[in-house]
Amino acid sequence: MPNPDELAALPDADVVRLAQQGREVAFRELVRRYERPVFSLVFRMVRDRELAEDLSQDSFVKVLNHIDRYSPEFKFSSWLFKIANNVAIDHLRRRRIDTISMHGSPHAATASEIEASTLDLEDDQESALDELESKELGSAIEKAIAKLRPEYRACIMLRHVEGRSYEEIAATLDLPLGTVKTYIHRARHELRKALEPLRE
Amino acid sequence: MQDRHLRPDEFELLLDGEEGFGVAPLRAHVRSCTSCQAELEEARELMVALDTLPDFAPSAGFSDRVMSQVQVFEPWHAAALTTARQFVPKSRPARVAASFGAAASAGLLTAAATWAVARADIGFLLAQVGLERVRDQVSAAFSDIVTTVLGQPGLDAMRTGTPEMTAVAVGGFVAVVGMGVVGLRALATSTRRAR
Repeated sequence: MPNPDELAALPDADVVRLAQQGREVAFRELVRRYERPVFSLVFRMVRDRELAEDLSQDSFVKVLNHIDRYSPEFKFSSWLFKIANNVAIDHLRRRRIDTISMHGSPHAATASEIEASTLDLEDDQESALDELESKELGSAIEKAIAKLRPEYRACIMLRHVEGRSYEEIAATLDLPLGTVKTYIHRARHELRKALEPLRE
Repeated sequence: MQDRHLRPDEFELLLDGEEGFGVAPLRAHVRSCTSCQAELEEARELMVALDTLPDFAPSAGFSDRVMSQVQVFEPWHAAALTTARQFVPKSRPARVAASFGAAASAGLLTAAATWAVARADIGFLLAQVGLERVRDQVSAAFSDIVTTVLGQPGLDAMRTGTPEMTAVAVGGFVAVVGMGVVGLRALATSTRRAR
């Protein structure tokens, strides 16, 4: 049985095989290897540290509790990123439903009455967002990334932060290769446009 | 070389380092066009900024929180292998001795099995004797039960009678016992009602 130092030198496939044999140290090694990349992806998707930790934790638990179903013909990291991305996207979809916007009372007759009765009830996380952005995600580029569509954001993160190929991203996100290229190209274009004022 | 500025998708081809057909004219245009050169440079700066974005770390204890929810399950074959490995001696001489012992035991078992197969007739004879003994014991136990229930004359009648007669006798016995049970239940019911 390899010790933690020897495990660190093994490729993912071998560590996964040891995890499939019920070695706890191998499970821990997989978490150690991917906690930062997975957390970074999810954090940039949901932009709330506490929530990102919960969602990253869910992703790891889902993957590790079904490690026996892992097929070695795919990369372990692609499988893990796929689950993490799905968990984050599901959360964003749910949050969009939870966000309520009330455009004034239906009985309001004048513009001032409409304005007086208008409510914007948004998720609490939105208010915490500004504070967070000014700290960890405070740079202009992070702000620009935050404004991208979640699908574009996931593609950009996987391409540039994780250094994945277009083919790997397509397999990870279950998207056609052409769609991935389009998303990344559009995302870069949007980012350039968003950062243009800073250059002038 | 082309005489127009590059389109966004053509810039992307250059940014991705594509080498395919049609990229050479784009490169040639960029070399001679300061506007496209500047735009490509700007795009490259963005790529560098994206590539150097930092990773974020979750809070301390993340790994423990994950592991507290993971069910580490050791499959039976892995468990069996682990158990077997525990019996393998650590030192080399002990391992050699254990291997020799295992090989000798396996050889003896093989020889015994070969001998048993070669002497199959003896095995059959022994099995037959055993079966006969079992049959005698079952028969004696059945006779004891019949003697207890029907008495010696009943047993003699069963021994001397034909199988049909035996069947009729057993059937009659079951019928009488059944009627007795039904009668007793009816009596018990009527007594309960009278109370």
